[in-house]
Amino acid sequence: MPDQNAIMAATKSFILSEFLEGEDPDELTEDVELISSGILDSLATLKLVTHLENTYDIKIEAHEADEDNLNTLVDIAKLVASKL
Amino acid sequence: MDFSWTKQQTELRDAIRAFARGSLNEGLVERDREGIFNRAGWDACAKMGIHGLCVPEEYGGLGFDALTTVGALEALGEGSRDNGLSFSINAHMWTAEMPLLAFGTPEQKAKYLPRLVSGEWIGGNAMSEPGSGSDAYSLRTTAIRQGDHYVLNGSKTFISNGNVADLLLVFATVDPAKGARGVSAFLVEKGTSGLQVGKKLDKMGMRTSPMAELFFDDLRVPVENRLGKEGAGKNLFTDSMTWERGCILAPAVGAMQRLLDACLAYSRQRKQFGESIGNFQLVASKLVDMKLRVETARSLLYQAAWKKDQGKSIFLEAALAKLWISESWVACAQEAIQIHGGYGYMTEYEIERELRDATGSKLYSGTSEIQRTIIAPLLSV
Ligand SMILES: Cc1cc2nc3c(=O)[nH]c(=O)nc-3n(C[C@H](O)[C@H](O)[C@H](O)COP(=O)(O)OP(=O)(O)OC[C@H]3O[C@@H](n4cnc5c(N)ncnc54)[C@H](O)[C@@H]3O)c2cc1C
Repeated sequence: MPDQNAIMAATKSFILSEFLEGEDPDELTEDVELISSGILDSLATLKLVTHLENTYDIKIEAHEADEDNLNTLVDIAKLVASKL
Repeated sequence: MDFSWTKQQTELRDAIRAFARGSLNEGLVERDREGIFNRAGWDACAKMGIHGLCVPEEYGGLGFDALTTVGALEALGEGSRDNGLSFSINAHMWTAEMPLLAFGTPEQKAKYLPRLVSGEWIGGNAMSEPGSGSDAYSLRTTAIRQGDHYVLNGSKTFISNGNVADLLLVFATVDPAKGARGVSAFLVEKGTSGLQVGKKLDKMGMRTSPMAELFFDDLRVPVENRLGKEGAGKNLFTDSMTWERGCILAPAVGAMQRLLDACLAYSRQRKQFGESIGNFQLVASKLVDMKLRVETARSLLYQAAWKKDQGKSIFLEAALAKLWISESWVACAQEAIQIHGGYGYMTEYEIERELRDATGSKLYSGTSEIQRTIIAPLLSV
């Protein structure tokens, strides 16, 4: 079972390749705000949720797919890990 | 992969199709002409359990999964020619009941769901405004917190069931500066002071589904009637729109099957140049295209519902289903008119109404253009 660090690393590379192509990977630290800063817009958030569900075979409930749970790599890893 | 329905699902579909065929079609030409909502039909559908197909039994529903539900609604659309009534029921289910189920507190669910499921109360969803349609989150209606209430000001338009609704899910912003992150949802009961229901809107099709404008003039909504967290409106709307896109056109698939059956019968029976018009390849190829559209539309509908039942999000599948079913429904209705010739164009033959009813499906729940703008990035274009 992947731990939170592994989830964070994998999610970081997904976000870099899908939404931040060409950006410096070092700038995407674990506490960068993804939703409130606009890095992830509505459609990007849908894509991220679909990716996490498929990769980890989990279900992210509608009320969980928000800024509180998906705003940083740490938040995302915590949410995913809580479902594994 | 098993494509067959179970015995219970088949019985449910058969029962709903037969009920709809026998009970919902009489007087439809007049209701359509006058724009009359069939409240008795609404109540009869509720009695059949349709309004609560996928609502858990603890709230009075039948507790079916999404696939069984869309299968039942497809049968409703096949039996009933009253597309407007089916649309009103679907708006009530997907845009009022489902958000309540997903985001409601136990108290909100216990208070509202049984009344919505029994059909006693009619639900509606108020997002669109005169200045914000596709760009829904640029809405202008405000909700300012004052103690244990929110005070809503603004207006909504194109609200299905708006003038007959007992419960409206209203979207408003608690802080326009926050953009989409300020959008919140509120449960507003009919008769609340400050809620004015505007005139009934006259429209091209779905004329038996009532629609109205709404105005909020210092409308006071208790804090306990906020649905979801403050600022969760976007999240809630995404969820309800996904249900809506995936499932709201289930009756349309039934309607397309009904149109195909009518066209097959007509092309066998109608003779020109001494033979059935179905013998002309140019007519037969239209029937083939209709069949293809019905089957592919049905597959996308079932796929979205099935995947939802697997506990997965269906953003892509729902948008694909919505886009293809709506465009196929319009195309089938056009072919049906063509196959019926001049008779298809006459009101009393009840084919032209189908085209009028189908056309709106390319607009509501996100226009066809918006579905395409959702699908493309999900394909990583
Ligand atoms: C029968 C019916 C029932 C409805 N019921 C409800 C209801 O119950 N509740 C509710 O809140 N609303 C309801 N609506 C409103 C519906 O959601 C809107 O009509 C729809 O979202 C489009 O908004 P608009 O009409 O303002 O068109 P606009 O958003 O102004 O669009 C005009 C045109 O521009 C195109 N366009 C807009 N943005 C883009 C873009 N980014 N890329 C490409 N093309 C674009 C559109 O596709 C369209 O062709 C209903 C509408 C209909 C027809």
